[in-house]
Amino acid sequence: MDSAHIEREASHWLAKRDSGAWGTDDEQAFAAWQQQSTAHRIAVIRLQTVWQRADRLQALGAGVPRGEVPAPGTWRFSPTFERENSVAASDGPRPRVRLMVAIAAAVLLLALATLGIGYLRLHDPNTYRSQLGAIEIVSLADGTRVTLNTNSAVHLAFSAAQRRVDLIDGEAFFEVAKDPRRPFVVSAGGRLIIAVGTKFSVLRGASETRVVVTEGRVKVEEASGSVISAPSTELAAGSIARAGSAGVLINHATVAEAETYTSWRAGYIALRDTELADAVAEFNRYNRKQLVIADASIARIRIGGNLRAQNVDAFVRVLEEGFPVRAEDEGDRIVLHAR
Amino acid sequence: MDDTLENWFAREILAHEPMLVRYLLRVWPNRDEVPDLRQEIYVKVFESAQQVRPTLPKAFLFATARNLMTDRLRRSRIIFIGARGDLDDLNVLVDELSPEHRTTNIQELQRLAQAFDDLPPQCRAVMWLRKVEQMSQKEVAARLGVQEKAIEKQVARGMRLLTAALLAGAAAGESDREATKSARGREHG
Repeated sequence: MDSAHIEREASHWLAKRDSGAWGTDDEQAFAAWQQQSTAHRIAVIRLQTVWQRADRLQALGAGVPRGEVPAPGTWRFSPTFERENSVAASDGPRPRVRLMVAIAAAVLLLALATLGIGYLRLHDPNTYRSQLGAIEIVSLADGTRVTLNTNSAVHLAFSAAQRRVDLIDGEAFFEVAKDPRRPFVVSAGGRLIIAVGTKFSVLRGASETRVVVTEGRVKVEEASGSVISAPSTELAAGSIARAGSAGVLINHATVAEAETYTSWRAGYIALRDTELADAVAEFNRYNRKQLVIADASIARIRIGGNLRAQNVDAFVRVLEEGFPVRAEDEGDRIVLHAR
Repeated sequence: MDDTLENWFAREILAHEPMLVRYLLRVWPNRDEVPDLRQEIYVKVFESAQQVRPTLPKAFLFATARNLMTDRLRRSRIIFIGARGDLDDLNVLVDELSPEHRTTNIQELQRLAQAFDDLPPQCRAVMWLRKVEQMSQKEVAARLGVQEKAIEKQVARGMRLLTAALLAGAAAGESDREATKSARGREHG
């Protein structure tokens, strides 16, 4: 009846069988023991399930010299794209199969490389890039989730001391897993955005870096190792900060307002009293077909609303219906004129 | 042998163990009794599945848990006084407890690594050589310079500790993470 006692017995059976010193008489005795009660069988199933699952640890043994036991906490996780996986007892592929898959992948990579396809950069395991108009979700080993906006790229450089992400292009939203011992640092446009456990987005623009915080707090610092370092700026949830060469401009908004800046995650562009020039620039980030403003007089029209980022046509239609704007579709671009 | 029933049990029932244990800890007045309670629930589910497998394993598991606790509470009115959760509490909808979510490969691997790191040093060393390097117990014994019998003991112990951490014990530290997950799910949905 006592579950702890039963589990102990079951573990002794399984460990003995694992030792290899196991004969037919052992097999029979073990079977008999399991027949005695369902509780015995269940104890065996539980232990065996976890024991098999532990084989997956092999994935972490790469790079460790054979016969050596590394210190706790020194695992090497490689980040992977989020992949749904059936729960629990599913056995991973056998090691040999896995090896063959790895070899096949290597051969394929080599083939791609020799074909001269300029994809190698994409295959840097620590660099993630999203296509134009696409939104990509990357789950990192530490539990952090990064959502890449259109045409964006991040490079990961995780170490024992910090979790560093370089925003190479575009915009990303970070849902950072808490780990006080390893701060999460995003580097973009000469700024470091430092978080412990929080949600925020970073946009790397041509002249400024925009940071929007929707949960928790983050710190913004100068990235250069200059002697006179500017004091760091702390941003609370609801902050919308623009960091340019002159300094950091902070708008203390509400969390709801800040969240409109991350509406792209759902595929929308949220316009709030936005000038047409800015709205056009925003749409152009998502689409190959670029919008061009021909007349300066319409550039400052203010518009609002939520629009699908990829539906340029709808945006243009709204403009033509509600504003003194005339659009000319030239195939690869749409030119906006004053009417 | 009824091997498939065992696979079914591991896949459909054990997968819910963290949630089940969390539930039991919340409504059952005496936490020391939870492992035995869990065992009793499993026995009932397993024996019933031997006859006919339930179409909704998760719902069946929790219904069994509820019935068993209700029975026990009725039988011993003494416990009932001052019980942390009363009988009404046992009627919580299963899906309210925690939305079904499937862990990703990497999360699973992380949890495994954490459980592994929490093992006592000697046990951890044995498990590393046996599980990561896939040495046999004999080879592990030679490598560490100890008796094979001692290795077997550590293997048994490691098995139990990992099981406690990954199945039953995962219930403890996990509630936070799951709360944020469900919030996140709502946000997207």
